[in-house]
Amino acid sequence: MDVGQDAIRHLSEVQVSVELETEDMTLNIGPQHPSTHGVLRLVARVDGERCYDVKPVIGYMHRGYEKLSEVRTYPQITALINRIDWVSGYANEIPFIVAAEKLMEVEVPERAQFIRLILTEMARISSHLIFMASYPLELGAATPLFFALRERERVLDLLEGVTGGRFHPNFNRIGGVKPNAGSGPTTRKTPQDLPAGFLEDTRDAMDHVLSVCDEIETLVAGNEIILARTKGIGILPPEVAAAYGVSGPNLRASGVKFDLRKVENYLPYDRFEFDVIVGENGDCWDRWWVRLQEIREAAKIIQQAIDGIPPSGPLQAKVPKIIKVPKGETYVRAENPKGEMGYYLVSDGGTGPYRLKIRSASFSNLTILPWILEGVLVPDIIAVMGSLDFVLGDVDR
Amino acid sequence: MVHLLQGFADLVAEAVGGRAEILHDTVKVTVANEGWVTAHSVARDDLDLVFFSWLSAIDWANDVEAGDPLKDEVEERLELLSTVGDLTEGKRVTFSTTLDSESPVISTLVDVYAGSNWHEREAAEMFGIVFTGHPDLTKLYLPDHFIGNPLRKSYPLLSREVKPWPGTVDVEGMPDSPTTENPGA
Amino acid sequence: MMQFVTDLFANFWVSLGGKLLLVATMVPVIGMILGFAEMKLSAKMQSRVGPYFAGGRWGWAQLIADGVKFFQKEDIIPDDADKPVFKSAPILVLVGTVALFVVIPFGPGLIFNDLDVGIFYALAISSLSTIGVLMAGWSSANKYSLMGGLRAAGQLIAYELPLVLAVVGTVIMAGTMSMEGIVQAQISAGYPYVILQFVGFGIFMIAALAELTRIPFDMPIAESELVMGYVTEYSGFRFLFFFLAEFANMFTMSAIAATLFLGGYWLPGVPADVLEFAGPAILMGKVFLLAFVMIWFRWTFPRFREDQLQTLAWKFLVPLALLNIAVTAVLKVVF
Repeated sequence: MDVGQDAIRHLSEVQVSVELETEDMTLNIGPQHPSTHGVLRLVARVDGERCYDVKPVIGYMHRGYEKLSEVRTYPQITALINRIDWVSGYANEIPFIVAAEKLMEVEVPERAQFIRLILTEMARISSHLIFMASYPLELGAATPLFFALRERERVLDLLEGVTGGRFHPNFNRIGGVKPNAGSGPTTRKTPQDLPAGFLEDTRDAMDHVLSVCDEIETLVAGNEIILARTKGIGILPPEVAAAYGVSGPNLRASGVKFDLRKVENYLPYDRFEFDVIVGENGDCWDRWWVRLQEIREAAKIIQQAIDGIPPSGPLQAKVPKIIKVPKGETYVRAENPKGEMGYYLVSDGGTGPYRLKIRSASFSNLTILPWILEGVLVPDIIAVMGSLDFVLGDVDR
Repeated sequence: MVHLLQGFADLVAEAVGGRAEILHDTVKVTVANEGWVTAHSVARDDLDLVFFSWLSAIDWANDVEAGDPLKDEVEERLELLSTVGDLTEGKRVTFSTTLDSESPVISTLVDVYAGSNWHEREAAEMFGIVFTGHPDLTKLYLPDHFIGNPLRKSYPLLSREVKPWPGTVDVEGMPDSPTTENPGA
Repeated sequence: MMQFVTDLFANFWVSLGGKLLLVATMVPVIGMILGFAEMKLSAKMQSRVGPYFAGGRWGWAQLIADGVKFFQKEDIIPDDADKPVFKSAPILVLVGTVALFVVIPFGPGLIFNDLDVGIFYALAISSLSTIGVLMAGWSSANKYSLMGGLRAAGQLIAYELPLVLAVVGTVIMAGTMSMEGIVQAQISAGYPYVILQFVGFGIFMIAALAELTRIPFDMPIAESELVMGYVTEYSGFRFLFFFLAEFANMFTMSAIAATLFLGGYWLPGVPADVLEFAGPAILMGKVFLLAFVMIWFRWTFPRFREDQLQTLAWKFLVPLALLNIAVTAVLKVVF
């Protein structure tokens, strides 16, 4: 009897004391969550609305690209790597192809380089328009999504017309771009160049892209609530950004005037005039604004490239049918829309790499999360994470 | 370009006490294990290379479980690589050091470049390198109870166990003449 | 025949039953109409079409289809949830809304029950929804719902105050709290009160948006952060109650605003006998105008952060409302 009574009293006491304790709550944001850009899990310790400690858990999408590259030939790898940052598909292939071309010491024909440049800038516009669509949605404004995606459809249709794929073009070949349709005996019979009317349609699409940039700017930039939600939030000092390896628009928003398109020579950017957009404070607002301006600069570059493209010429340099890259190693990096993307290619003279190290932009951009999310409010976690613009395929490779 | 890079490469090699080479527009400086951390400190403070790009390793092995083996025999070792750059002119240096294949140990770079935290975690789980002084060397990509170091050459690619490496031939040939299913061929 | 019907409805219980039936029909119908309006208007603003297939090219049957869909869903209750509280929360939220229909004057004499304390009753009973929201957030056994419930508690209580204070100015001008009386006061004054009480009207609309937890004040729901906030664990017809309550509440808040500030069922220049049957149409017109503004705000603005929301209420709206009351009282005495 006594034991029973004691047990009952103990049970009720235990219940009451647990309910009255207020302590930090461990909130699991993700892996399935509307705002984490993929399968990212944040283990956040929050006290009410303020978060003390954030630990990102990644690896849900790890596909083992680096091990996979060791058992594939170079053309096969080209088909794989545009899936790393799937939002800007074409731009992922470029540094790898340029690295292989450097080791082979192959000179890419001029027309192919211009085509590569136009398609890379279109990938940049596509990636930044996705950011323009999804960032206000995370803050609560649902309408810029539709405007941005409507114009992105134009760019994707153009990409599909040239390469055959909206997201995964697989259009680069070592020595240039894909020269011919078909294969086998039909190869020599069907030379393929840009589709008819592509250049005029691109010019037209760029006008639409510029007009939607103005629309989005009016809708978003003049809105006091968006300014209140993004100005002064998530400030990233340039020294911290450099130490953590943050690159791309995130770094430029912190005031660092550094663009790989100006300093590296993987594509002929030195022939075109464009500005490097720099922000002032390094807060979420600057990161949004830098990307909007970069869309405009990309449209400018494309228009100049269309004016300057050589009217005819070979699309691929003379390379052997089975590609064997001579022994050597090198690191080539490019300005991906998300940041610096690079490939360290170690070749032993075979048909595939011995080791391919992929330096992806979003991985390094994500390392800043524990530093930048310390002590922010829960709604600001979403605002800051969205402004860093990462994609989980890029983080997890 | 090569001449400008040579001057820069020699400058770096002298500052950190290593050996420089230029590989297709990439400056690669090899240092000894003991000088790994000081080389990076010197690069960050004196040479203005404040941007941390990446850190990873290469497993030089003669027996490979997946992929093609090396043509010439090499000394089996782990080569640790890291790339740092500056934010003004776009100069960059890839530092390299050699680690023992059996038990690779080296001190951490977290105090010099904070961004090397996650890169070292990845290198630790993929290659089995132990970074002494690292605050939290837990697995990054792989599940917690994963056994083995996947990027080592001795680690097999499981799908190739089931179906062997076909080599460089296309597994299925392309159709030669147009058919009703594929009139474009 | 008419005599028989009039005698029948003179019986208290029969007329009560008739009124209940009328309210029970009105609430879902109005909810559906406003929901459909929101779908089509938001589609127009976002360069898309909206519901297109259900019911011919206009898609008017979409919400009927949605209602049927919700009814035939499985009733899922989380294991750890506090079942009685979980089940009664949506009912409380809906009751707090439906009870507001009682004091809305649809035409001269067309009111379910003209209480002397009409507006006082309306503001008091709408607070029932707050308790319902808290119950939903607490009993869902889900950390996201809990956070949504806590945010809702803070927000709804904070914005009750500007809502009430904004109305006081109109009550001072009209001299009565009965809703019918306020409309009659505007008719005899000859102008709708919004002309002098524009500050009160602005505060009332902002506070009403906050009470409805619509964007820009939808922190408690906050779809991109908390999945659905306090509504996350609800499915099937329980979710339908929340959904209906939001749209019905949109109607009642707009109707109260229209009655207090815009003249209710009266338009200047319309004679009294026309108002008998045109009154409801005029009121509906004003309500849909205000509902259109609410829908427009929802799709244009992002959401406020919780602390910015509270700052707006306590540091800005409440002092402004108090100032409005003071100025109105002084002017009433002087003129």
